[in-house]
Amino acid sequence: MDRKELETQVISMVAASYKRDAAELTTATLFKEELGGASIQMVALVSEIENELDVELMLADASGCATIGDLVDLVEGEM
Amino acid sequence: MSVLDQIYQKAKENPRKVVFPEAMNEKMLQAAYETGKEGYIIPVLVGDKEEIKAAAAERGYEEEVFEIADIHDEEYRKTLIDRYVALPWTLLKEKALNRRMQNPLYYAMVMQAVGEADVTFAGIDNTTGDVLLAGQMIIGLKEGISTVSSIGLCDIPGFKGSEGSLLAIGDSAVCTNPDAKQLADIAISACDTVTALLGWEPRCAMVSYSTLGSGQGELIDKVTEAVKLANEQRPDLAIDGEFQFDAAISPAVAEKKVNRESKVAGKANIVIWPDLNVGNVGVKLIQQFGHADAYGPMLQGFNKVVCDCSRGAPVSEIKGNIVISAVRAAGSRKTETEKGENA
Repeated sequence: MDRKELETQVISMVAASYKRDAAELTTATLFKEELGGASIQMVALVSEIENELDVELMLADASGCATIGDLVDLVEGEM
Repeated sequence: MSVLDQIYQKAKENPRKVVFPEAMNEKMLQAAYETGKEGYIIPVLVGDKEEIKAAAAERGYEEEVFEIADIHDEEYRKTLIDRYVALPWTLLKEKALNRRMQNPLYYAMVMQAVGEADVTFAGIDNTTGDVLLAGQMIIGLKEGISTVSSIGLCDIPGFKGSEGSLLAIGDSAVCTNPDAKQLADIAISACDTVTALLGWEPRCAMVSYSTLGSGQGELIDKVTEAVKLANEQRPDLAIDGEFQFDAAISPAVAEKKVNRESKVAGKANIVIWPDLNVGNVGVKLIQQFGHADAYGPMLQGFNKVVCDCSRGAPVSEIKGNIVISAVRAAGSRKTETEKGENA
């Protein structure tokens, strides 16, 4: 899977977990400031990534990501 | 008989299974053994069976006090995974779950989720964050609840409240700056926690620097909105406010300041702080000036009882928290059974 494909997949999973329209999201979207949400949404997102992309992420590392792009970097590093 | 003695007695009458994912930690093993040997719980240790047996033997612990769940037992792991993924609410699928279950914390919570244990007890080798996140991933939050939070139980010498010297307070430890919905969730969870643990009829005051509009501003608006949301979500519970702290717990002050009917004003047995700044300062004031014993924090909001103890806690405190968790689990199970019978 190339980087662009991975970005699209992660954005689509973020959209599902945070109940947003994927078209509104980019790799620059900020989790805390733009998506808000409680930790339960991040937990759901990490679970979905683990189910679909066959990686294991540290929940604390995922929670530390400022942007969707940071999360894509984290996932890429684990693949 | 002190409140802790009463809780210990309750635990002995109906010992629950408590699963320990940090079994190789010396303090945790001692606390698990002693609470098991004294008949308060049935300890289930998760890890490498041979290592655990050797560690227990080295300390002269009787092996029959424990049950051991061997993390390397593939057949048992597969059974757990099959039962877990068949549950109606799960986030992880088989492969991802299997990977997570290499970690004893996740393994223990899966055991609890499928009913092999009543409580997961951790927090010495794992951080609070680890326990909270694993709990959200494997055990999940109660329906309608959006945040994990905590309450503490204070035994305050000389305090003559509606439950004698006891007062439940929350959240003084977990949820830093709750919004109105989260604050409502903390109050609802607190009512359920004290019912399960102590059998109280909860009277929950949401406190602020204003009593029923005596002050104005956004800090107060959050509390009044939380009261409204909590009452909409759980009309069966007595949750009221906004009250100042004295109007919440003192009948004389409530009589002066609360000019309407309230099941809670002046006789609250639970006080919910507006945020963690107030909550943390509040519990320290009660401890320092009121010379109170504060038990907890007890985590709440999860589908089942998960306990995170302080990493610096001595064995005596760990034992107290193990027993409190077990009694909460027994109480929650009783309440669920009653709800089922009345449905």
